Amino acid sequence: MTNHYNTIIIGAGHNGLAAAAYLAKQGRKVLVLERRAIVGGSVVTESFGDGFTVDSLHTGGILRPDIIKDLKLATHGLLVDTVHQPFISLQPVGHASSLTYRDHLVIDSNPVKAAESIKHFSVKDAARWPEFVRFMDKSAKILNTAYATIMPRLPMNFGVKEGFGLVDMGLSLRLAGRKDMLNFIRALPMTAQELVEEYFESEIVKAAIASVAIHGSTLGPMSAGTGYTLIHNWMNRGGLSHVNVGKAGEITIALANAVKSFGGEIRTEAEVVNIKIENQIAKGVVLANGEEISANVILSSADPKHTLLKLVGPRELPPEFVWHVQSIKMRGSVAKVHLLTDGSHEIPTGTVVVAPSVKYLEKAYDAAKYGEISEQPYLEVTTSSNTVSIHFQFAPYVLKNREWKVESGNIYKLATDTLNNYFPDLQSQITNYHVITPLDLETTYGLSEGDLNHGQLMLDQFLFMRPIPGWSNHKTPIDNFYLCGSGVHSGGGVSGAAGRNVIKVLK
Amino acid sequence: MFNLKTTPFHERTSALCQPQNWRKWAGYFVVGSYEHVLDREYWAIRNAAALIDVTPLIKYIIQGKDAAALLHRVTTRDIHKMKVGQVAYTGWCDEDGKMIDDGTVSRLEDRTFRLTAAEPNLRWLTMNAVGMDASITEVTDDMAALSFQGPNTRKVLNLVCEKSVDDLKYFRLMTNKIKGVDVTISRTGYTGDLGYEIWMNNKDALKIWDALMEVGADYGITPVGILAMDMARVEAGLFMLDVDYTSTTHAWIESQKSSPFELGLDWTVALDKPGYFVGRRALEREKKNGSEWKMVGLAVDWVGMEDIFKRIDLPPQIPGSAIRASLPVMVGNVQVGYASTSTWSPLLKTYIALAHLQRPYYEIGTDVRMEITVEHHRQHAPAKVVKLPFYEPEWKKK
Repeated sequence: MTNHYNTIIIGAGHNGLAAAAYLAKQGRKVLVLERRAIVGGSVVTESFGDGFTVDSLHTGGILRPDIIKDLKLATHGLLVDTVHQPFISLQPVGHASSLTYRDHLVIDSNPVKAAESIKHFSVKDAARWPEFVRFMDKSAKILNTAYATIMPRLPMNFGVKEGFGLVDMGLSLRLAGRKDMLNFIRALPMTAQELVEEYFESEIVKAAIASVAIHGSTLGPMSAGTGYTLIHNWMNRGGLSHVNVGKAGEITIALANAVKSFGGEIRTEAEVVNIKIENQIAKGVVLANGEEISANVILSSADPKHTLLKLVGPRELPPEFVWHVQSIKMRGSVAKVHLLTDGSHEIPTGTVVVAPSVKYLEKAYDAAKYGEISEQPYLEVTTSSNTVSIHFQFAPYVLKNREWKVESGNIYKLATDTLNNYFPDLQSQITNYHVITPLDLETTYGLSEGDLNHGQLMLDQFLFMRPIPGWSNHKTPIDNFYLCGSGVHSGGGVSGAAGRNVIKVLK
Repeated sequence: MFNLKTTPFHERTSALCQPQNWRKWAGYFVVGSYEHVLDREYWAIRNAAALIDVTPLIKYIIQGKDAAALLHRVTTRDIHKMKVGQVAYTGWCDEDGKMIDDGTVSRLEDRTFRLTAAEPNLRWLTMNAVGMDASITEVTDDMAALSFQGPNTRKVLNLVCEKSVDDLKYFRLMTNKIKGVDVTISRTGYTGDLGYEIWMNNKDALKIWDALMEVGADYGITPVGILAMDMARVEAGLFMLDVDYTSTTHAWIESQKSSPFELGLDWTVALDKPGYFVGRRALEREKKNGSEWKMVGLAVDWVGMEDIFKRIDLPPQIPGSAIRASLPVMVGNVQVGYASTSTWSPLLKTYIALAHLQRPYYEIGTDVRMEITVEHHRQHAPAKVVKLPFYEPEWKKK
């Protein structure tokens, strides 16, 4: 077996695989090393038993269209058509068997249909819905442009080369229109509550939208900067609801097939434990079994904290750089509860949330601040055939006086008790369940501190400050060593932008 | 309110300090001079035995499995090569290869080091110790220190110490006892003469002072303040933080920063040492491209200076102590640098300065002119770039 490659990519998640596929397509000799026995990282469909197959972490998702096209993912089995299901906010009064627009707020991806449902809660809100959608789509487009641009290494001086990308970005932002641009910039630091209150009066509508703002973040709808997270999540989802639910694994399997079709290699159960460095130049990797593999270039799609503090190690890095990496806010507070049912559950198809009011969401977040699990959690529920997947917030990685090793049963109980308010028969329909705690996110999925986004999406951790100020262009103080995961600018959520963008830096 | 601290020797030093000439040093009061003129104190350094209270030196004990690795990473020296009992002078830099501070590293035991510094560095050391098994303890206020400098110091120490210091080599240290009290003695100093530094617990400070003063009386022991030491250190070509260079932690603008190469510390920058150390890349670059600036010695030409004074019928006037003021250095009508400390050298009978000159004027032998003030008028006295140190007695390292 050959032990030298042109490029090694650490981690076979969607970003690592996207980068690998692009590089393999260029003709480089590429090797992807994955710690787990399966590829996918956070974008994975797994089986937890007979007939119990679910999207473990991210529910569905879709890559940027240019990635799908560049890597010919359609020929590798990726479902290219996106299936948008409605976004449904549950109402306690309703019962699933008599589900009507009157009972639950059902926001369809078609704005006209969505307005029909919103009308039952507020005529005014229904009238404003299309305008809100237009603003959000426009903002998502602007953000997407920023995410396609390599950020200059502020506060360092940046050269002409880095400037070109910015000129491009500036141009497309100008084309977005001055007024939209201003509204976009204004929305970023706002709280989700403030933002939705500018459009809507109905509590249930406001809370439904605000829930998307806090999804995956350790923030409440009254936290500054949730205007940004709302736009970020809206951009990745293409609206309020998830797409292609139950098919997350197809994305990464298609990417893995693309890598192989371009001649790249993927090795699973190959955990990288150390980057070999000589004189601040990356030379290769060391695997958990002691095997050493050398390479001209090494990319890590693992989170920046794990990559830099564990794989590279603080001794090889400048002190101020280390200090910044240590300061990256991870703070995961998501748990997942997957249910296998007998198939008779009445949870509707779509992205279903328990978000009755903005204050309910804020209180759920309050618990996280004090190291406690929300007694009344914000839930986002998706279904795929007879499985039910519950995204549970807030379940902070660092618990006060308690340990995650013994808390997973508690999460299961809180999640199902909460859903029981809406679906009283659910308990009796469950035949099996699987809980993923924030600690599992770290130990099983390799996400430091259980942070799905490889670093919180916050205004002090985005654009040229992601992953840390001065190092937003995928580079590190180690030559030939780059970051390409969700923790870098453009990352967070399922899009593949980080894996795609790194290629521009490698040229 | 912030009050300056006094050192454990204060009871003795304050009784001897005739002119009440006190100086601030790292949060402490220390004696500037014990007498009204510096001559006797200065000559004690060069001819006898000067006893200088250097307690305010910032001191850290660095201990643990990775203590050597930490100092290897922070400083520019190859710390892994140091033997127990060895002392190394070194600077340390930021990632851009610019000096933060300088001091000495003493390997007290295999895994125990003492680092001295001019200014507090605890945060910097802690930032560098991430992922290392190394504790950093500041002992500035717990440990008293005396600098004992001059050609007679060895004889005095041999009389007062339990063990002879004859075999103690330059930049080595030993444990010893004075009047039954444990001390560490290093053959180091800030005067460029034969000299030692004696490190002790605060509680033992007066006992050690008294023992040295008693035994040293026959050898001309003289308490010496830091102003006389300032003259001696210029002769020795030794610079001082905040006087001759600005720490990157205080610099307002890039041009205020200095690299170790620019300060003439090439011999302390071990670019061949293994592994990362802070500033390595930048220092490698500077080594390759050469430095824009260099700190050099300037010797002012007496005859040339005499001529300038003669124009207004005055004999040449010389400063009575070291001048910590920036003096422009010219070539033709162009300023090519500045002197940061200048002093009359009573021993060399020369007006000398530590000066920072731009390329190519820092080459040895270059003729330049340094500003002097002659009866309120600024003039430029001819001077030559000379090698440092200005003065190095054969007994310094012997």
